[in-house]
Amino acid sequence: MAGSFEEVRIMKNSISIFWRKRSDFYKIRLTKCLECGKVSFPSRTKCPYCGSKNVRIVEASGKGTLVNYTVSYYRTEDSDELQPRIIGLVKLDEGVIIPAEIVDVDPDSLRKGLRVEAVLRRLKSDDPFGLIYYGLKFSPVLK
Amino acid sequence: MGKVFVAGVGMTKVGRIFNKGYKELAMEAVDKALNDAGIAVSEVDYLVVSSAFSDSLLNQVDISSILAQEMGIDVPAISVNTGESSGVAALEAALNAVRAGKSNTALIIGVEKLSEFPSAKINSSFSHVLDYEIEGIRGIAPINYAALLLKEYMKRYGVKRDDIFQWAIEMHKRAEKNPYAYLRFALDLDKARNSQVISSPLTLYDVAPLADGAAAAVLVNEDLQTTIRTQPVEIVATASATAPPIYLRNDMLDMLATKKALERLRTTVKFKMGKDIALQVHDSFSIYGFLALEELGVCGRGEGVKAIGDLQYLNVGGGLKARGHPVGASSLYALDETVLLMRDSFSGLRYDGDAALIHSISGAENNAWLALLKR
Repeated sequence: MAGSFEEVRIMKNSISIFWRKRSDFYKIRLTKCLECGKVSFPSRTKCPYCGSKNVRIVEASGKGTLVNYTVSYYRTEDSDELQPRIIGLVKLDEGVIIPAEIVDVDPDSLRKGLRVEAVLRRLKSDDPFGLIYYGLKFSPVLK
Repeated sequence: MGKVFVAGVGMTKVGRIFNKGYKELAMEAVDKALNDAGIAVSEVDYLVVSSAFSDSLLNQVDISSILAQEMGIDVPAISVNTGESSGVAALEAALNAVRAGKSNTALIIGVEKLSEFPSAKINSSFSHVLDYEIEGIRGIAPINYAALLLKEYMKRYGVKRDDIFQWAIEMHKRAEKNPYAYLRFALDLDKARNSQVISSPLTLYDVAPLADGAAAAVLVNEDLQTTIRTQPVEIVATASATAPPIYLRNDMLDMLATKKALERLRTTVKFKMGKDIALQVHDSFSIYGFLALEELGVCGRGEGVKAIGDLQYLNVGGGLKARGHPVGASSLYALDETVLLMRDSFSGLRYDGDAALIHSISGAENNAWLALLKR
């Protein structure tokens, strides 16, 4: 976003949040509850369904199926160069539904049931004065 | 437990109000509410302020102390933030204070001042009602979830895209009669149909406009209610719940927090839910309006579109959709409109029923709050 010298120099994003959460941005980690048996996204120290702390963090394969999607023109401070964006719900092969951005695809070719896989992409950027932050998005599985 | 009544209400016009800051808006609503009740500011002994974005957009932490200073009072002053539903949460905080005997005359202020910044910045802040570390960082906004819900709803119940615009059309009809509303113009299907897509299939007229505004209310205890000049409306009960994020729900169309809050409300008070009840539901996006009607039991699943034409006392001020959505103030506008409706008349409407319900949620229904009013 164009702005004053001060505005562009100050980093908008927190390096420490990204650093601490890097495992959840570079992998898809799920919370498997050993009490109620439910599996949820992302990794948490307690089960979001029953509150139990008897949980195990498991890594998902990163493959899944698109169950719903929307083509978004909604503008926020982060979205100027990324319009439009596709936000979808992906049902992982492990059975858990997660919200995700869908990339590298023509919106017209999207359909429910499309096979998708996790790909590493840029999430946010404080360029040129700070870091570029990466994380997982989803794109169609190449045949 | 003593009864608690709304003694006075006051609202400013909702909109993009460039010539007034949040303090001016809040003071305008406060003066109207105190005047309405016939109570002097010196009689206020407790202050609760609801503002969702004072911190992120106005650089103002602890807005309640600042507003107490602005009013020249030295009372306990607390700020409440539960996102979009902050207004009802503030009502509960004030209700509890009066019931606990900590206050005889509690003032509630809902104030939001968003138009100080361009939409992209406001939208960023608004997106933070979701989980920042999960959805915010990944660029997922409340509107995207609303679009996914809308798509699922239309498919499951065979509802047409045009049918959904009935929500906006009905809300605009109501707002035309509400002097405080932001969008006071009639909307027809053609105009709605041709509005720009924001997050497919959701378009501009499915979205409540974020706006500036302030709404205040004065609560008094049973002893004082006989001394006030307005016809008192009782706050019988409030109830609320949180719920897992929608991507973790078995059925994303279930409003789990609303369902739980309704169960809790029903354990404390009996009331009949029907098409003739005065009801304010949260319609930040029109799909939530329909889902709320269905979750609250006003009509069956997928029947919201058919039902809406018969709901004379639904969102009498135009809802968030057409009155506008000054976020932290929105459900206090709902409260004020409902009090006026029960007391005498609002927007030319009279209501003879004895109960009214206010519903408010935040984000993709991360929480839900309900308030039941009785004459």
